[in-house]
Amino acid sequence: MQVFKTMFKVMRSRLPSAMIYIIIFLAISAFVTSQSTKDNKFEMNRLKVCVFDEDDTPESRALTKFIGKHNDIVEIDNNRNTITDSLYYKTVNYALIINKGYAERLAAGETAELFGSYHMDESYSVVYMSKMLDEYTGSVKAYLAMGKSLEEAVSATEAAMSQETEVEMFRVDKGGDSHFSVDFAQYFQFMPYILVSVIISIVSLVLVTMNKKDIRYRTNCSCLKNSKYTFQLFFGSFLFVLFIWLIFMVAGTVFNKEMYTGRAWLAVLNSFIFSMVVAALAVFIASFEPKDNILNLITQVLGLGMSFLCGVFVPMEILSDGVLSAARFLPAYWYVRANRMISEEDAFSSEGVMKCMLIECLFIVVLVLMTILVRRLRYSSASIGSAVKKAAA
Amino acid sequence: MFLHILKYELKNGVRTKDLIIWLMVFPIVLGTFFKIAFGSVYNKTEKFSAIPVAVVEETENPAFRQVLDGIESADEPFLKVTYADRAKAEELLDSGDVEGIISSADKLGLTVKQKGLSQTMLKSFVEQYTLREKIAMDAIQTSPEKAQEIISSLMSGTVSSCREIPLTQGNPDMYIQYFYNLIAMVAMFGCMTGMHVTMQNQANLSALGARNNCSPAPKLVTILACLTGSFILQTVCMLLCVTFLAFVLKVDFGDRLPLVYPAAILGGIMGVSFGFFVGSVSHMSQKTKTAVLMSASMLLCFLSGLMVGDLKGTIAQKAPWFNDINPAAVVSDSFYCLNIDEDYTRFITKLITMAVITVVFIMLGFIISRRKKYASV
Repeated sequence: MQVFKTMFKVMRSRLPSAMIYIIIFLAISAFVTSQSTKDNKFEMNRLKVCVFDEDDTPESRALTKFIGKHNDIVEIDNNRNTITDSLYYKTVNYALIINKGYAERLAAGETAELFGSYHMDESYSVVYMSKMLDEYTGSVKAYLAMGKSLEEAVSATEAAMSQETEVEMFRVDKGGDSHFSVDFAQYFQFMPYILVSVIISIVSLVLVTMNKKDIRYRTNCSCLKNSKYTFQLFFGSFLFVLFIWLIFMVAGTVFNKEMYTGRAWLAVLNSFIFSMVVAALAVFIASFEPKDNILNLITQVLGLGMSFLCGVFVPMEILSDGVLSAARFLPAYWYVRANRMISEEDAFSSEGVMKCMLIECLFIVVLVLMTILVRRLRYSSASIGSAVKKAAA
Repeated sequence: MFLHILKYELKNGVRTKDLIIWLMVFPIVLGTFFKIAFGSVYNKTEKFSAIPVAVVEETENPAFRQVLDGIESADEPFLKVTYADRAKAEELLDSGDVEGIISSADKLGLTVKQKGLSQTMLKSFVEQYTLREKIAMDAIQTSPEKAQEIISSLMSGTVSSCREIPLTQGNPDMYIQYFYNLIAMVAMFGCMTGMHVTMQNQANLSALGARNNCSPAPKLVTILACLTGSFILQTVCMLLCVTFLAFVLKVDFGDRLPLVYPAAILGGIMGVSFGFFVGSVSHMSQKTKTAVLMSASMLLCFLSGLMVGDLKGTIAQKAPWFNDINPAAVVSDSFYCLNIDEDYTRFITKLITMAVITVVFIMLGFIISRRKKYASV
């Protein structure tokens, strides 16, 4: 098993950079999954609102307090640049000014232009907050018209607006999937990026190194059978991929706080198949014998490209249809599709998941066939002959 | 002599494959991916558009239907209503065609699939309707004589209580800042070209360095010529990058695009001088220097929000001074200010910061590398 041993020696030299990838990925996953909530209960979105109270009366303070019930009140400097930056980076969703004279004018039943708001764009938050404010002032006005005092009107409005409607979560009876929550599915969803980055950068590099002219010639003139050589090469790569995949699976049980159960095993199988796709891809790339810097570029382009195109980084529903139909030609698309079905983000059907996995397997077959083809063309006696002629010239 | 060295520096640079790959091809590829991924995020998730909703009428509710018709016929409708039966509505919700199902019986009910702002808005819409019903009931009970008036004033769309104070004419899409950071990344990668300058003048690190050191040309002239060459190369990379983003990917930089170019070029020059400084500091091997520079510039880009968009906003809250000195953040902020601000104060401040950082790095680099002699290599 000399070839096998050598491979691992070469791999060891590249391991530190791979470990950096893996550790960063696991750290981020630990952070993401620790924040996940397993219950499927509806909660209101809390906006980050900052209030500049120029009126400073009991009524305006009551309004601020009321807004704070359903939202988070954030304090920032009353400075145009700070406000602009905060609104742009969404550290604040809505910047409200309660104009001077708010209480007086409200008492008089006026509702026009009681407030000002710093306006960045017509976002959901802006529409939501301005509707809320209109509703608040409109209700106060109505209660005033019924002959209540301002104080009574405000408290009656607050009481009326605090009535909550029950919201049903769709499919809550099926419970999403109790074995594989949507939040945990995120961990699996980001996996393609890291698998591609680590596996291609290491496996391809090792294969390219083993295939360097001097080393190949030396191996060729040894008494080692060619088939044995190839077998050891593949076996080594396979073991490495298996090792990387196992690290992620073990880490997964840690993040999930329990062993995989039920449908989660499907996700495990799915990720295993995808790792094999990536391994086949790595072998395919290696057969072109790219230089070190070119290999780095290919790794980055494939990793980032597949992740951006196939909905790894950005959810699929946000991508345009054109991008998605192009992404069908990439294996990560089917991986993500299957993962979404398993976590019930899309409707689950076992045939659907099977279909996605089968297509991934098809990618493996195609990649292997293409690798054989490329190797035939590159290492056939004819091409070696021409290479020798070139070298001689 | 200056021109002679400059010419060979340029030739040398153009033939460095790494430079072309990481400063030209990679940004173009990454920019394309950003465009694919983030191009429509803003319009689909942040910018308000009517919320699609399915309404299931379990019992006749003409009042509610009237309200919905009123909303839909408004100039900027709040809801996009589809009437359906329960099964059809659930199908629509499951496929994501609608955000929620409102069932109208004696009481309104709401069914949603996920938590989010548009679902919250649907909830508050349903509550709003219930609230108006309650107020109307209260009015009829407490002051029946005025009830009609109150109800009609509730139902008629009142004037907005809120006046919006516009902050900017620019492009409010926060995802654009990924492109700003991409340009900042190219600028920071300029440190690789800057490092090459020092490699070529340190005799223990390259054959070229050894040759340069025993030539009679004064060191000041040699280094200046090499630096000028790097600046020119970097400028070309920056021009290419901005042009590609602005004209091929059609990224909206606001209405002051011509000013984006000088800011990007100055950023690139700053990147080169950063590499020149780090390269001069020590006589470590090329690999170590590359690793140090790459990780330093990636870290700075990360902190400026290249990978996680809202990181810069968070830093701006916690430690605003850091954004003022982080070179990557200064570059990307200069584009941001150009887009968002109405005046040029902040933009010019950023440009001055870049210039100061550049001058400091170059001066330090010169001071460190002067009078270095090699007795033997």
